[in-house]
Amino acid sequence: MAIKYTAKVIEHFKSPHNIGVIENADACATEGSPACGDEITVYLKIDKATDRIEDVKFQSYGCASNIATGSIITDLAKGKTIDDAEAITWKQAADELGGLPPVKMHCSVLAVDGLRSAIRKYKKEVKGIDYDSTLDVKTVTEELKHVLWPPVGVDIITLKMVKYIGIDQGAVRVEVSIGSDDKFLDPTIDEIVEHVSKIRGVKSVNVENV
Amino acid sequence: MIYLDNFRSTMVAPEVWEAMRTAAIDRYAVPAAFTQCGTGAAELIERAQNRLAAAIGASQNEVVFTGSATEAINIALLGSTRAQAIDKPEIVTSEIEYPATLAVYKALEKEGYTAHYIKVDGEGRYDVDQLSSVLNEHTAMVSLMGVNHMIGTIEPLAKAGNIIAEASKHIGRKIPYHVDFASALQTQRLDVDEVKADLVSFSSNKIHGPKGVGALYVRKGTRIHPITFGSESYSPLVPGTPNTMGIAGFDKAIELLYATFDKDVERMRSLINRLAAGIRERIPHILLNGPEGAERAASHLCYSFLFIEGEAIMMFLDMDEIVVDTGSACAAATLKPNYILIAIGRNHEQAHGSIRFTLSRYSIEADVDATLAKLVPIVERLRAQSTIRPPAQ
Repeated sequence: MAIKYTAKVIEHFKSPHNIGVIENADACATEGSPACGDEITVYLKIDKATDRIEDVKFQSYGCASNIATGSIITDLAKGKTIDDAEAITWKQAADELGGLPPVKMHCSVLAVDGLRSAIRKYKKEVKGIDYDSTLDVKTVTEELKHVLWPPVGVDIITLKMVKYIGIDQGAVRVEVSIGSDDKFLDPTIDEIVEHVSKIRGVKSVNVENV
Repeated sequence: MIYLDNFRSTMVAPEVWEAMRTAAIDRYAVPAAFTQCGTGAAELIERAQNRLAAAIGASQNEVVFTGSATEAINIALLGSTRAQAIDKPEIVTSEIEYPATLAVYKALEKEGYTAHYIKVDGEGRYDVDQLSSVLNEHTAMVSLMGVNHMIGTIEPLAKAGNIIAEASKHIGRKIPYHVDFASALQTQRLDVDEVKADLVSFSSNKIHGPKGVGALYVRKGTRIHPITFGSESYSPLVPGTPNTMGIAGFDKAIELLYATFDKDVERMRSLINRLAAGIRERIPHILLNGPEGAERAASHLCYSFLFIEGEAIMMFLDMDEIVVDTGSACAAATLKPNYILIAIGRNHEQAHGSIRFTLSRYSIEADVDATLAKLVPIVERLRAQSTIRPPAQ
């Protein structure tokens, strides 16, 4: 089947909403990395009395769907309380765009991660709520729910592709089951490493295809 | 539409379409002996064989038509390796070959062949010293391409041919040398004796011929087995009913190609130079992928635009009806950056920002100027939106 963007994705890519920088932002966070693919930075201006997002902007080093998901996620977040904005899911963002090709679904995850990171940074720095939990199998599992299997755009935990998670003094071992010839094997391993490395206390990540 | 993706495929020339129409209506019989319609179809194929053979210094019966360059590559590589009985066989190619060649090599590796992938320099030229060093009595095949499709590098085919011939003499057996000429045919002339090639693959749709046709040159005396089986009335290597309509189109495309070859190559070179000069003058922070000047295919240009991503550039140009290609991971079905750009030393970020512009003889100055006029603000805009900034800013 032809992989196409919806008219809504093209519209947001062509004229992205909320693009740019907020000087003196209350919080800002970057997710992804240029070396692995796309990168997004989200800036927040928050009304401290009401915890409402007064303004939100983003910058993107990425493809059309990265820019479009950044645009839609900032639209969705604007005017919401930080708790409500934090609850926005990547599925919601993709649905708002009329859907994304499965292979591009990870862009939506990245945009949502960017927004959540910025909100959590604000909560931690301004409100003293610490989100960083201890390094355990549960945290790693939660993080791996952000790694999507590109052919279907569903996360690797739901698809039962993760066979084992082991943690030993900061060294994380993740065993996955992917065909050794599969064209998505390498990018998926890279993404697992990228995500797990973000968890506090992780010293090394070893992904084995079993 | 401004179509600058001619290394992927080209428009069918109007004269080609007319030749195909005539073949479909007047030459629909299966090539056969004696009858008027059967011999008419057979003559159509012979004429096409003769034309391609004459262009590359071969003889008519050394050329067979296939369903694509991919099929030609499969027949050449599988058919030739299977025709040899070599102990612990080894096969040699480069790390920047067309996916068809690399896929066949992977399949042969599974069959027990040991594969060597020759490295390239920063501009994509084969390391001929490495080629020389890996050839030995176990070598069953060498396959190299004439022009690299992603970075436009004109490869030292004749130099490699000499090395292979030398090694063949040394071991007392001819090492088959396959040349993938699919991306080269548009801008490079070929003499199979000068290059010392035993097998050469061609594609019709890269030179304004139809899709669904390719050709394979097989030097007389080359040992090769068929890889598919059926009626051999046309050719034992390509059994079944030949695609006369497609072959008639390919034949016309070859005729047109050589009718104005030198003039077209010169004109495409000057248009590419104009595009390259415009990009260099108006867009900072760029990297040329592949060599400059005469060492690059005349119709080919590939730049990396730093700090931004290629799929976004490609999509913006697409909305302005300008068609280009990118080596970005974001545009690849595999989500991996282009392997050729990685092989010449580009990092992932540099590969992400790559855009390939490939012209045809139908490209005009206005296409280049319109592309530049659109490209400059697209790059500026995406850079303004990007999380990454040039160091100076």
